[in-house]
Amino acid sequence: MRRFDYASPATIDDALALLAGGDGAVRPLAGGTDLLTLMKADIATPERLIDIKRLAELDDAIALDADGLSIGALATLDDLEDDPLVRQLAPALAEAAAAAASPQLRNMATIGGNLLQRPRCWYFRSSLVHCWLKGGTECQARDGENALHALFDQSPCVAVHPSDLATALVALDASVRLRGPAGERSLSLGEFFAPPTDDRRTENVLAPDELILSVRIPPPADNARGTYLKAMDRKVWAFALVGVAATVARDGDRIGAARIVLGGVAQTPWRAREAEDLLVGQRPDADLFARAADAALAGAAPLADNGYKIPLARTLIRRALAAVTADGAPPA
Amino acid sequence: MATLRVAKPHDGEGDGEVQVVEGAAMSPWGPDAALAVVGKSHPRLEGPEKVTGRALYAYDVRLPRQLVARVLRSPYPHARVVRVDTSAAAALPGVHAVLSAEDAPEIPWYEDSRLFDRTVRFVGDEVAAVAAESVEVAEDALRLVRVEYEPLPFAATLEDVLRPDAPKLRPDGNLAGEPKTYRRGDPETALRAADVVVEGRYSTASALHNAMEPHGCTAAWEGEHLTLWDSTQSVFTVRQEVAEKLGLPEHRVRVIKQHMGGGFGAKQIAWKHDVIAALLSRRAGRPVQLMLDREAENLAAGNRNPTRQHVRLGARRDGTLTAIQARIEQATGAYQVGGEASNVSGMYQTLYRCPNVATEQVVLYTNTGPAVAFRAPGHVEAAFALEQAMDELARVLGLDPLELRRRNYAAEDQTEGKPYSLPEGLSLCYDRAAEAFGWDPAGSPAADGPKRRGVGFAAHDWAGGSGHPPGYAWVKLNADGTAEVVTGTQDIGTGARTGLAQVAAEELGLPLDRVALHLGDTATGPYSPVSSGSATQASIGPAVRAAAADAVAQLLAAASATMEVAADRLSVRGGRILVDGDLSRAVDVADVTQEIAPHMIRGQGERGPNPEDRAIRTFGAQCVEVEVDTETGEVTLLRVTTAHDCGRIVNPTLVDSQIIGGITQGIGFALTEERVVDGRLGLVLNPNLEEYKVPTVADVPPIEHAHVGVPDTVANPTGAKGIGEPPLIPTAPAIANAVFDAVGVRLRDAPLSRSRLLAALAAQGTDGEVRA
Ligand SMILES: Cc1cc2nc3c(=O)[nH]c(=O)nc-3n(C[C@H](O)[C@H](O)[C@H](O)COP(=O)(O)OP(=O)(O)OC[C@H]3O[C@@H](n4cnc5c(N)ncnc54)[C@H](O)[C@@H]3O)c2cc1C
Ligand code: SF4
Repeated sequence: MRRFDYASPATIDDALALLAGGDGAVRPLAGGTDLLTLMKADIATPERLIDIKRLAELDDAIALDADGLSIGALATLDDLEDDPLVRQLAPALAEAAAAAASPQLRNMATIGGNLLQRPRCWYFRSSLVHCWLKGGTECQARDGENALHALFDQSPCVAVHPSDLATALVALDASVRLRGPAGERSLSLGEFFAPPTDDRRTENVLAPDELILSVRIPPPADNARGTYLKAMDRKVWAFALVGVAATVARDGDRIGAARIVLGGVAQTPWRAREAEDLLVGQRPDADLFARAADAALAGAAPLADNGYKIPLARTLIRRALAAVTADGAPPA
Repeated sequence: MATLRVAKPHDGEGDGEVQVVEGAAMSPWGPDAALAVVGKSHPRLEGPEKVTGRALYAYDVRLPRQLVARVLRSPYPHARVVRVDTSAAAALPGVHAVLSAEDAPEIPWYEDSRLFDRTVRFVGDEVAAVAAESVEVAEDALRLVRVEYEPLPFAATLEDVLRPDAPKLRPDGNLAGEPKTYRRGDPETALRAADVVVEGRYSTASALHNAMEPHGCTAAWEGEHLTLWDSTQSVFTVRQEVAEKLGLPEHRVRVIKQHMGGGFGAKQIAWKHDVIAALLSRRAGRPVQLMLDREAENLAAGNRNPTRQHVRLGARRDGTLTAIQARIEQATGAYQVGGEASNVSGMYQTLYRCPNVATEQVVLYTNTGPAVAFRAPGHVEAAFALEQAMDELARVLGLDPLELRRRNYAAEDQTEGKPYSLPEGLSLCYDRAAEAFGWDPAGSPAADGPKRRGVGFAAHDWAGGSGHPPGYAWVKLNADGTAEVVTGTQDIGTGARTGLAQVAAEELGLPLDRVALHLGDTATGPYSPVSSGSATQASIGPAVRAAAADAVAQLLAAASATMEVAADRLSVRGGRILVDGDLSRAVDVADVTQEIAPHMIRGQGERGPNPEDRAIRTFGAQCVEVEVDTETGEVTLLRVTTAHDCGRIVNPTLVDSQIIGGITQGIGFALTEERVVDGRLGLVLNPNLEEYKVPTVADVPPIEHAHVGVPDTVANPTGAKGIGEPPLIPTAPAIANAVFDAVGVRLRDAPLSRSRLLAALAAQGTDGEVRA
């Protein structure tokens, strides 16, 4: 790891002042589970780290008010997994947190950092490859070893977003509250996550001098239920080959509203809008779920080695829909 | 009691080699021997040290003024090193020594290359090294080293190097040695005449050892004496090789290994880090620690050779094998580094009785890190193919796969015509595994929903476990009636310390807590061989027993004098010396040792040769049950039952530990472990524990060990053979066979990844996917 300076300011304003103008050379440090790994591998080379764990106004609180559930940026994955409010109001998030990483990591990893973690693409993570996402000119994965890569083409990069939480949170219609030099703003996660572009080689629109303060999940609709399913190469401690978060609100014996979001298939959490449209107003049954699953994957453009993700995603979609519409399942 | 007879053959006789004959005949502990300590579970003697973090591993060594070293590794799969400029690195404050091809001594290494060669042959090959006051300074220094490379054409994968237009990686081509061929009978004719032929092309991925403790050492000089605390499976091999490389006499090199976090075959030799650390330490005049990080470990410190195997079996309708043919291609990486060879063809020649067998094993260089032995090298790869082919044959013939194996039972080593030391060993494994598992090939429940269950069977033989004579041990009896056993072997994490102490306690007639066992130090212990080939207990157990017997004979002679009873009426048990077996007339061992103190009883023992007219093998059989989700390709192991002929079970807990560990690695080999190489870049993409997926506890099902435990009294006087490697050998094919049983697709490429399984299910139309 290269030398870096370390600061531990007391207030958000102090932290923002330290971040200002750093343009990426100054980075906030939360749990460090991704940032420090990238620094050890010489992929992130910040000159200065701003520890945000001691900021008075930034916390790990999970609270409920009229606008829904608010989760402080420092809440750990372990907090989310166990929190009664999250389990009750946003079970998809609790399930996603529980399915992520390992117990040791979940104790350190924060929700803010989780949304901002960088792709696990092995070319990206290799210090010997200067790929497009790192500012180079070529994506080595596109015609290389791409079994773990994207089904949906959004940019020159075909890495997938690694976060389980992000998939669940988009399905929960969550938003992030951000603060930068110009003050606060709120963005839905659908707007927050954005495929990298030539000018912005990151997976979201957070400015380098902005902080995530909290995540907000609106109150669930009546009769809404949600779940998160994840396929991994082994039983635990692996990133999603495919993750599926589904939330469905019932309207009598029909589906009133639905969100289906896929992880592991694109550079951002991937909303399957065609599938959602197809579900609304219909009576839930296996045939409908299968049609929804097909619709969700209809636009998939597999690379040489990742075609297996299509049947995998379809299956997880069908199973998630069956789970959230089955009679007797707990409401969410 | 030690006898060492050196015989020079008469002129014209033998091949002119000096024959050394030693080993006093001891009567073996037979099946009915009444043993008090051997055969009982006992926790590892060093267990408390390990679980409290006090046990010292190579990395834990901290000497005054110790420096830390880091190695600059090649970013190119193949290149000429034109120039290395280390001046800026050397000038960095905190840097105390730098080495590279520009100034390192020309020490021969790996075949015809050098310690720092002018040609680098894989990404990760050593280019330069620095010793500095901290890891950070060392890494900063490496970034200041300027290297000019001239890239050369490369071939990093087995597929690439087998292409007709593959670049020539060596002056003589890409073959690492002449192909190894073996032939008995006439397999071609037998195949033409066979009632049934099954044929398949199999492949196995390169697996990475990923021992918890990486390779590494700490080197310190005192004058002209070098001490190396190394993470190694063979302190004596490292001493001999390091002494040779550095031009030192052996008595000036001391190698120590007290505790080890695994080696799995990759730590049998002196690696470059040993000599680099020693050279840096000499230059800096300070101790130097050089540990590999996980990436270096996975790039440059060994891997299991990937293979491609083309297999043909011919049989009669009743299942009698008439022909076995196997053509094997395997990649040895950039260098052949020595240690135990990967004998992929061996199992084809020996596991089943068959008169017509031909194998051809072709070893190729590639521009990846050197392959080395990995827990049952060769046999793990071969079993994956042969045991699936046998399963396929059984199905074609409509036979129970176990019955097919029984019909082709080999009770002798057909390559040498020697009967096995325990000819019924494998048969006992079949019986015990099948019985404990409730083996029923028709027993999988009927298909119901997307999840299907299946059972699979696989067997193995293995030349390891027989011991590597010679090897030595000493026993000292202290004045207080305690004993110290000294041997030059090492405990590589298997619990050898405990198993050997049990043998000593047994023979000495002392309780285990009155025995200390010292090992892992060339300065204090007599020569012992490498801990490879599942050999430590089988190699050194008999030597320890002999040394203890020698000490007991001396003790009883002394007791005879102090007790005034004829020595042949005395015996030792539970720490007491009995007269005519009578406890009431017993005295404590300490009474005698104290009486003669400060004179000391010193026993010596050696490991005699293995029998010449018998072949010693270990055997095993495994049954597994799996559940396959046909829609997601997820394979879940439900249970594994395993039986092994490892001779006498000296300590059931330790044997169970080896079984759990071996099967766990087998599960990884079967389902998830695969070194991924980008052939275009010559780059290993997953040299880490995130994307190279070893199994977790959640992936390992209940494992049942069905004991065989028949002492192999022909093998050696303790009756114990090895168990380190065997449990891994049959796991992957047993899983693949169970997957076939569950869903009817034959996956001939390891690992059985989801992508492969889902593709095969889709091709077969049984992926169970519901489509609108
Ligand atoms: C072995 C391993 C396995 C994993 N498996 C999974 C998995 O299965 N599923 C999954 O979802 N994740 C997984 N992860 C990722 C893990 O969850 C993230 O690394 C973690 O959540 C990041 O949080 P952190 O607090 O450690 O962030 P840090 O590493 O401290 O920071 C990450 C990034 O976010 C920035 N940052 C952090 N907090 C803020 C903030 N409040 N405002 C602005 N910027 C901020 C940092 O500057 C940095 O750029 C795994 C990680 C590892 C190492
Ligand atoms: S997929 Fe993205 S991260 Fe991976 S190599 Fe291509 S550009 Fe780089």
